[in-house]
Amino acid sequence: MYFCPLIQKTKTEKLKKHIITGVRHLTDSTFVLQLERNGLPFQTGQFVILRRPGTIDQREYTVYSGEKENVLEVLVREVADGKITPLLKKMQPGVELEVDGPFGFFRFQPSMFTSKKFLFVATGTGISPFHSFVKTYPELDYKLIHGVRFGEEAYEHSHFDKEKITLCTSGDNTGEFNGRVTDYLAGMKPDKNTQCFLCGNSKMIHEAFDILISKGIPVQNIYTEVYF
Amino acid sequence: MKYHLITLGCQMNLSDSERVISVLDKAGYSWTDNEEEAVLIGILACSVRQKAIDKVYSRIHKWNKWKNHKNLVTFISGCILPNDHEKFLKLFDITFQMKDLPNLPEMISRYGITTPVHLKTGIDPHNENIEEFWNVKPSYQSDFEAYIPIQNGCDKFCSFCAVPFTRGREVSRPSKEILAEVALLVSQGYKSITLLGQNVNSYGLDKEGQEITFSELLREVGELGNRMKKEFWVYFTSPHPRDMTDEVIEVIAQYPVLAKQIHLPMQSGDDKVLIRMNRKHNMEKYRQIVHSIRRILPEATLFTDIIVGFTGETESQFENTRKAMKEFKFNMAYTAMYSPRPGATSHRWDDDVPLEEKKHRLHELTEELRKHNRIFNHNLLGKTVRVLVRGEDRKEGFLSGLTEGKLIVRFPAENEDLTGKFANVKITSASDFSLEGELVKVEALV
Repeated sequence: MYFCPLIQKTKTEKLKKHIITGVRHLTDSTFVLQLERNGLPFQTGQFVILRRPGTIDQREYTVYSGEKENVLEVLVREVADGKITPLLKKMQPGVELEVDGPFGFFRFQPSMFTSKKFLFVATGTGISPFHSFVKTYPELDYKLIHGVRFGEEAYEHSHFDKEKITLCTSGDNTGEFNGRVTDYLAGMKPDKNTQCFLCGNSKMIHEAFDILISKGIPVQNIYTEVYF
Repeated sequence: MKYHLITLGCQMNLSDSERVISVLDKAGYSWTDNEEEAVLIGILACSVRQKAIDKVYSRIHKWNKWKNHKNLVTFISGCILPNDHEKFLKLFDITFQMKDLPNLPEMISRYGITTPVHLKTGIDPHNENIEEFWNVKPSYQSDFEAYIPIQNGCDKFCSFCAVPFTRGREVSRPSKEILAEVALLVSQGYKSITLLGQNVNSYGLDKEGQEITFSELLREVGELGNRMKKEFWVYFTSPHPRDMTDEVIEVIAQYPVLAKQIHLPMQSGDDKVLIRMNRKHNMEKYRQIVHSIRRILPEATLFTDIIVGFTGETESQFENTRKAMKEFKFNMAYTAMYSPRPGATSHRWDDDVPLEEKKHRLHELTEELRKHNRIFNHNLLGKTVRVLVRGEDRKEGFLSGLTEGKLIVRFPAENEDLTGKFANVKITSASDFSLEGELVKVEALV
């Protein structure tokens, strides 16, 4: 992963219990879990670990909400045979979860970059950090390319400036672009000073990495967060 | 009452074991090499390799059988994954996190030699009260080499590693304590001191300005060395490339007691493998650090860690690692064939590089290392190097030791009194991974 070297480490809070305050179901398998913020400090782009109290079952999620919001949100896709996500999906407001963190180095602060042009590339729930970036810094000069299979997976695209987001769908033709994000990226001509942030599965990140390098983007301008 | 302790894994565990021994000795137990005569047996576990954990299971099953005919209490600590922890609760009488070590005698007394009451403590990822562990005076197992823990835990979450889940979050030990321990050891004649942590160069960052940084800590150690006017070498391991700065390298250059030897884990020479490993550094960053080391510390030796055959590592990606080996000319590379560890993120992925291919890649890197070392070591022929003598060599009539750069040197000498002392040795022959020479001068005792 490529990192943002100028941002100070964020203080790690003690493990706290956070009550679920809401659940927004975006598709049959994907939902936003909203929890009390409880003063948890984080820098946009970081992740937290959610755990059911009294168990060892836990999972890492990038924070979906903005730094200044009073709630803590994460975007979760249910893994049918997973140990955690089917349980999270069934949770109702009022249930408590333990939150550990924040962690991670995919932190974002526009002031640390000389060039203020940003390219965000995401697949699936990899849109989470970019949602948080944009919620935290609404005035950003960015272009977000979001790749999914079907148009219904355009998770809360209304939260973004529609001029700045492109939906790529590989399984139907409901997106602005019919194909994978890497196909779209291959046709782009990004300015060499663009700061590029990639988040999603490692296959997409590896391909996007090669495409950006071939377009003359210096390696130090590429930041990655692999979703495992 | 006799006890036996088995320590598996890395230097962190070895260092921890010095404190465990100290606590048990103070509680009135005495060490035995023979586990069969012990009434208390403990293990400091390691979760880096499955083999180490398999050893734990094999031992505890044996010890639990012994309980049918003798009184025995067993305990386990060290690096333990939550899943293993759950199982160990049922198998061991006592499980505890190292931060709770000061309470071990109380745990044992509450347990009682014959009362089968399981005493259990859960895993606290935040290492609260770790200070109490650091305050335990260790029972150093050498008279001239010592480890000093400066930090516990890890926040980096490399995908192949489970340490963030076994040792919890990064917590820095107060610098005053570290400096006091260094001063005490040096005053007692210690010659080699290693500052230990999972990511030593992120030292202090968790304290958000309330503690000095790693380079400042090294500077304080260097100043201490100047004031004490004694000869000793201070090492540190392991740093993470992400937090390595020129400032650290410059400080090392300024102080004679800061050893000119850097261990800088690379793990892979390929950017895409590094992304999958979630390493947070790329090869450009790594190259910049190595260039800084060569520029600021031209005499320094460079060691590294490498994993071959990581999930998805292609031949061309491995080739980049081989090229990096050639480029950086490491003096030592601790190369491991990848093996997935439950609890680490990469355990969810296919271990898709065949064992034979991993062996082949390991062999290739070893040969690359050998080639460079042969040249490096041959360039030392005829030169006199300073060596800290560590004891008898396997070759009869020889002693061996380490240079400041941790190169192995052996020389003929019958006099055992040299162990733990500095000596000058003129190099007379060089092999790929060691040097041989003649004693030139032995320093007076300091």
